Amino acid sequence: MTRLFLETHSRFVLQCPAVETMNASFTRRAAFSRLGAFLAASPLLRPQQAPPAFGDRFPALDEIGSVLDFERVARAKITQTAYDYIVGGVDGEFTLRRNRQAFDWATLVPRAVADAGSIDFSTEILGQKLDSPILIAPTAAHEQLHPQGELATHQGATEAKTLMVVSSNASYPIDKIAAAAKGPLWFQLYARETPEGTRERVERAQEAGCRAVCFTVDVQYHSHRERLLHGRHLSMPVPGMTRTRSRRGPEPPPPRYRLSAQTPGISWTTIKELRAYTIVPLLLKGILTAEDAAMAIELGADGIVVSNHGGRYLDYAPATFEVLPEIADAVRGRIPVLMDGGVRRGTDVLKALALGARGVLVGRAPLWGLGAFGAVGVQRVLEMLQAELALAMADTGRQNIASIDRTAVSVEFP
Amino acid sequence: MTYSRRKALQEFGILLAGSPLLRADRTPPLDELVNLFEVESVARSKLAPAVYEHIAAGVGAGTTVRRNREAFDRITFRPRMLVDVREMDISLELFGQRWDAPILVGPTADHRIVHPDGEAATAKGAAAAKTLMVVSSRPSVPIQQIASVTKGPLWFQLDTEGDSNAMKQRVRGALDAGCKAICLTAGAPYEARPSWPPSAKTITKLTWTAIQQIREWSGVPVLIKGVLSPEEAQMCVEKGTQGIIVSNHGGRYVDGAPATIDVLPRIVDAVAGRVPVLIDGGFRRGTDILKALALGAKGVLLGRPPLWGLAAFGAEGVQKVLEMLQTELALAMGLSGKPDLAAVDRSLVKIHRR
Repeated sequence: MTRLFLETHSRFVLQCPAVETMNASFTRRAAFSRLGAFLAASPLLRPQQAPPAFGDRFPALDEIGSVLDFERVARAKITQTAYDYIVGGVDGEFTLRRNRQAFDWATLVPRAVADAGSIDFSTEILGQKLDSPILIAPTAAHEQLHPQGELATHQGATEAKTLMVVSSNASYPIDKIAAAAKGPLWFQLYARETPEGTRERVERAQEAGCRAVCFTVDVQYHSHRERLLHGRHLSMPVPGMTRTRSRRGPEPPPPRYRLSAQTPGISWTTIKELRAYTIVPLLLKGILTAEDAAMAIELGADGIVVSNHGGRYLDYAPATFEVLPEIADAVRGRIPVLMDGGVRRGTDVLKALALGARGVLVGRAPLWGLGAFGAVGVQRVLEMLQAELALAMADTGRQNIASIDRTAVSVEFP
Repeated sequence: MTYSRRKALQEFGILLAGSPLLRADRTPPLDELVNLFEVESVARSKLAPAVYEHIAAGVGAGTTVRRNREAFDRITFRPRMLVDVREMDISLELFGQRWDAPILVGPTADHRIVHPDGEAATAKGAAAAKTLMVVSSRPSVPIQQIASVTKGPLWFQLDTEGDSNAMKQRVRGALDAGCKAICLTAGAPYEARPSWPPSAKTITKLTWTAIQQIREWSGVPVLIKGVLSPEEAQMCVEKGTQGIIVSNHGGRYVDGAPATIDVLPRIVDAVAGRVPVLIDGGFRRGTDILKALALGAKGVLLGRPPLWGLAAFGAEGVQKVLEMLQTELALAMGLSGKPDLAAVDRSLVKIHRR
């Protein structure tokens, strides 16, 4: 019995290579050589290290693969307050997340395209020829991201052949922004304290060469931006804001509830007044229902921007993409419908166009480009989106913007 | 550079002082809290784990208590713009009285387990926030004492345990203390959060006749709390109840019961405006309340949140919880273009399948 075991055991043992080696003569030289090889293979040695992980250093501009990657770089370069101000939504940020999520409810319908090399994504909105249907949405205080603020944004937009909508709360005055670059500009308007103040703003924007006015109809009251509320005892006022929001505690409460008014007094009458003296096309930004879209047309608006203010207005407002069909159906092509909210990919743009948008606006994305790399960052963000849009058009067999229709996507909303 | 031992020790002291571990007990002051979830966090840090668990948990697997919250995520708004909302009014007309807001403190038992002053402190906070409080059938502070510390309005929750004389006594005590309505709890045949083996409570057979008698004899409105189906609601109205509270008792009686906001629309339809329909279950945001109002509820009751406020900061905490919700509701209404409750209707919301 013992003998059998030994035989079996020794046969197994002899077949094992390590043992074989052990049985051969083993010089000190061989031993050191092996030890050296062992050490050289160690992951702790620099030559064996993988290229630095993304988290170890920030990528250079040419290393960035998608629009989504600019945010991290910008975040490292700006103050925490500025980052919180830009990135945040309101309350639990349900709508902020839903804006992105909604695009996942649509898939592309693949189709061959005649000539993938000459996809044409130029378009025309309100009589203006545009090189792409992607516009820069109005966002406040670009100086938070870069010392040149909107001047740099406009320069980047112009290089990317993109129209920029300038915010009422820009860090730089509209005429300086217009002088900084040649690309087309629109102006975003908030109602001022007096009707005369509002009119003065419109006239100044028109004089500076803005080709349209977007009047914001949401944010009647300041919403609860909880990221900022947490920092309010610590944070500095946001630089470059023309109107400083008090962060030293709650604003003095109005009569009953602690609501902080922004533009609660605006109404459809305001639109009638605006329509009367605005020479350039007038769009209403912040429409979310078919009823309001119909009213906008009735009162002579030239266009609509479907928007929930980037999730910064009312939490549990719908995602803009999910109400686009309802609004496009109500408008029936009489005026252009644009949308913003969560656009980060060329496929998002295509989906929006397929559901009836004439164009889309991007808010945070170019801001991260600006914060990360200045004007050239803005340019790159837009060019990436354009390139991805062209790719998505090729995938769905659409040679030009006009050919993008409902059949390009398959949608299932919850 | 000379680096003395003194300097080294000094710097070491500074290092230690900066340690987050030394600030582990810091409770944020009340005015730093921005929403109800943060109040709950503070309450949790102050309560013994067993007490927190007792209040927070639902029965069984906690399906219903979770469902109550999740259901709100399937409802989005259809907000209207360009409505003049400079004058906001969230007051509510109910049983011939005007209430400052459609938010009530619902009946929950044993407030003394979270705060030494118990229901007296809760009532104080509710009154400061101009909010009606429903005192539970077994308060840990006698109802007369509660009524004495507050001029605020009170209702009384009546359970159907014990014999009818005992019930009558409790109602008498409540009315004498100034309670203006009675909420009868339905759908609770077992102890909440039972132990094994489950024991049924001795329930007085609560016939519709008995309800009728309580109504006539007490002279105040009688509501039924715990309705979860249109059939039950229809029955309540037919038998003369003056109000309905859609409730699954915070998921503490039957696990697997539907979320209250999910069953609300059909119940409102069945009631067809004949009596007011109130609702409780998982309300934590002004937007939650606005959804219930849009779906036809006249007002909402809060269960756990006032207790969290009470545990965290006493009467002031209760007041803060209520005022936070009032502000959030007013804000949500203002942003939706609804300056008062009359303007809030079903066209304000969209219910999704998932």
